[in-house]
Amino acid sequence: MLATGLAAVAASLKPLFEMEDITSAQQFMQKYYKELTPEDMAKVLQRIEGEVEKEYGVRPHVRDLRPMDGVEFVYALNLSRCIGCRKCVHACVAENNQSRSPEIQYIRVLKMPHGTFDLEKGDHNYASEQVPEKGFFYMPVQCQQCHNPPCVKVCPVNATWQETDGITVIDYNWCIGCRYCEAACPYWARRFNFTKPSIPAERLNPNMSYLGNRPRSQGVMEKCHFCVQRTRAGRYPACLEVCPTGSRKFGNILDPNSEISQILRTKRVFMQLKEDIGTNPRFFYYFDV
Amino acid sequence: MVLTGLAVVFIGLAAAFLSDSWGYPAPRVKIPLVDKAILDPTTVRRTYADLISAKEDLSDFDCYACHEKGQPPPLRYDENHKLLIPEEHVNIVMGHGSHGRNNNCFNCHNETNLTTLQPRDGRELKLENSTELCGSCHGPTYRDWDSGAHGRSNGYWNTKLGPAVKKDCVNCHNPHSPRFPGRKPAPGPHTLHGTGEVTHTPESPSTH
Repeated sequence: MLATGLAAVAASLKPLFEMEDITSAQQFMQKYYKELTPEDMAKVLQRIEGEVEKEYGVRPHVRDLRPMDGVEFVYALNLSRCIGCRKCVHACVAENNQSRSPEIQYIRVLKMPHGTFDLEKGDHNYASEQVPEKGFFYMPVQCQQCHNPPCVKVCPVNATWQETDGITVIDYNWCIGCRYCEAACPYWARRFNFTKPSIPAERLNPNMSYLGNRPRSQGVMEKCHFCVQRTRAGRYPACLEVCPTGSRKFGNILDPNSEISQILRTKRVFMQLKEDIGTNPRFFYYFDV
Repeated sequence: MVLTGLAVVFIGLAAAFLSDSWGYPAPRVKIPLVDKAILDPTTVRRTYADLISAKEDLSDFDCYACHEKGQPPPLRYDENHKLLIPEEHVNIVMGHGSHGRNNNCFNCHNETNLTTLQPRDGRELKLENSTELCGSCHGPTYRDWDSGAHGRSNGYWNTKLGPAVKKDCVNCHNPHSPRFPGRKPAPGPHTLHGTGEVTHTPESPSTH
């Protein structure tokens, strides 16, 4: 009888033993991002570098880049130019150390028939022999970095918030994985790590940041953060650099002479996605002509 | 009796848990890594200026190795007034503009000095300044390119921290047939379980 009971208990505990990495005490005791002193942060970054090196055999460079003064990021995408080649999707995965299998991708490219903006008609699974196809246009959708982000409002533990440069970030160590934000986001921009992310060591991007692309653990949310590890160091995001058609534009909206300011001023910027719901995205779609 | 029954039930449950008889977790799709070429941010073409700065072989651009100086090369046309491409330039596809109207090499090339370009306003431009030549006809596009709305820019958005690299027209467009060729898209999202095949939403008929 006792043996039976023990066997049953052992069986019910089985999933616990399948958890590969038990949180270290240091990680467990870590304070909230906004309460960390610079010294605390230095220690945390060092710990993360050690953890990544132990796991992948590559010593990363993990930084905690803060927003720059007088900078607010805005993204614009030229719908007349996008050909739907999906290079941005995979460049993003490579830059941001997303899980390859199962797949986590921040960008979805919707193939839409001409003459409608009904997102229900969009297909993101297209496997055409050749793009662009006649009669369709392509609309990549990713985190819109809203001024009024519904995902931030619903987070019960403040693990996600909007920074002064407009980027909504996640503290992966503070996230409890309740997925409320995923449900709240009208743009399907948030992704959940159902399993431990699988990243081949030779594809790991060692240029990391705390709020950006450091490897996530199982059970936390992640999403597009405009490549904070690049953009807060002055560089363009990865999806923009790889775009073969130059459809993607990015920059500082507070600088009146920046590319992005001129585009929003002079081009036919027709919409923010779902602008009727009042999220006021920092992501604009525009047309030539 | 009851105890034995319970014991049997528990042992059965334990055995079922340990042997995964529910088939959970279901086997996952093996997703192959994407080709590294997809991740490459370099442009499809290299300009004359790129070749100069990379100190590469420029003998292909030495027109007067074959052509005779001071003698504009003759252009030959078939009965439909289609330009006949000479054998030496067989790699050139004349696809610039519609209706075959742009079928004269010397609309852009300078016939009196083949190593330069000549817009219709009579200026003489070096090969590495071809963007100005394009702009002499494509005004609005040139304006957009100049302000950053058209074309590619790589590097740094914040020029105080590093250089912004602005790509030229011919980095992406072939000047002889500038329309973008279609290409095979990178792989789309995979399903988590099953065969990895995705079901497509029905395509709406084109309204265009």
